[in-house]
Amino acid sequence: MPWNRPLIIGIIVLLLALGWLRTNSGEVKQVRRSQLMMGTIVEIVASGQDAGQLEAAADEAFAEMARLDKLLSRHYQNSDVTRLSKSLKGGQIAPETAAVIALGLDVARHSNGAFDMTLGRLKALWGIDRENPTVPEQAAIAEAIEGIGFQALSLEGLNLVKQSPQLMVDLGGIAKGYIVDQAIVVLKKHGVTSGAVNAGGDMYLLGRHPEHPWRIGIQHPRKQGGILTTVEVRDKAVVTSGDYERFFEQDGQRYHHIFDPATGSPARGCQSVTVVTDNVALGDALATALFVLGPEKGLELLAQYPGSAGLIVAADGTLHPSQGWTDYQSSP
Amino acid sequence: MKTPWQVMTGGDWLVVLTLLGIALAGIAWLATAPAGTRVVATCGHQTCFVAELDQAHSVDLDGPLGKTHLVIDEKGAYVTSSPCPRKVCLSMGPARYSGDLLACVPNRIMVRIENRSGEDVPYDLLSR
Repeated sequence: MPWNRPLIIGIIVLLLALGWLRTNSGEVKQVRRSQLMMGTIVEIVASGQDAGQLEAAADEAFAEMARLDKLLSRHYQNSDVTRLSKSLKGGQIAPETAAVIALGLDVARHSNGAFDMTLGRLKALWGIDRENPTVPEQAAIAEAIEGIGFQALSLEGLNLVKQSPQLMVDLGGIAKGYIVDQAIVVLKKHGVTSGAVNAGGDMYLLGRHPEHPWRIGIQHPRKQGGILTTVEVRDKAVVTSGDYERFFEQDGQRYHHIFDPATGSPARGCQSVTVVTDNVALGDALATALFVLGPEKGLELLAQYPGSAGLIVAADGTLHPSQGWTDYQSSP
Repeated sequence: MKTPWQVMTGGDWLVVLTLLGIALAGIAWLATAPAGTRVVATCGHQTCFVAELDQAHSVDLDGPLGKTHLVIDEKGAYVTSSPCPRKVCLSMGPARYSGDLLACVPNRIMVRIENRSGEDVPYDLLSR
């Protein structure tokens, strides 16, 4: 059978050209990666035209988060936090640790101590993370909160001074947020303009979702798997703290992981707090402070932070939105 | 001078029709590609379980601490038992929408809902 080779070659070239156009047509690609770190699931979502660039950005962001976790977590023997807790008077710390502590001290002062980075002993005493936690003796709680508070820590450049040797630093309410913020810095450095970093629900939404503004569901504090509301944001942090995350029950009472430094026991004013603000570290610290302060004083504190808004679910289930919250809320 | 149609041989037509058939089959394959929402679990760094969210299922996922039991039913995908000390994964409730995540961190188990159908979901990420 005779063959018209020029025609065959023409068709093949045309098909190859169409295939090339299909794969290089400017279609937005999305990279979605998850890793277990910082005791939770960390997810990076990045959108753009170059999948290789997005993958490289996600790789570097995860590496940076792992590096910072080793610096700021009490679970690592050589971390700044462990070293500070073991020290008699404090000592030199890394610039990243200093940045976290400086922000934490600022929120601690503004919240009159409701946010506290010196609860290491108290948290160890309660042992919420252990297999069978129980309510400690009141005397032991009183001893664990003796001498704590933001006045017990002072930062002079990269030198942190502790007021008492037994003071144990705990950055649990802020470090995760800072680490997410630094992951976002890495994504931006790689030219990513649309993405998200989500560490167990504490997240930053960079730019806009490829199809619409980022829509963030807020967990209902009492309906497992239920959504309280949805917010729409771009270039904002969204952080939620709730009494349902880590808790145990004893004698019909729920004991959760957000402690009131004034009493040494779990704070009782709220079921959950959601904060929308400019960075996750601030959102993390504010969410904890608002939870401890309760709706009334919490909203007063939030008003001191321009660009921040929040929704507090009080202990009785009533909703307390801050001024500006409705700018973000999209449903119901 | 002859037009291209006049110089087309039987072999040419065979090639054209074959390529056309391949193209049409490709389009049909894309249109009938399995749609829907999947539950994807990873154990450590390996994908260890994949199932459709709309098909009831239960499975034991092996991690370093033991077995984490995952159930899929009309409520979604959720963990009913796990050897981890804090049992946070049990209190996370069901994952139902694309992007929802569950994890038993100590047992290195992660479960993700993946959507392949373009179904509209009420949110992109969940703050909890």
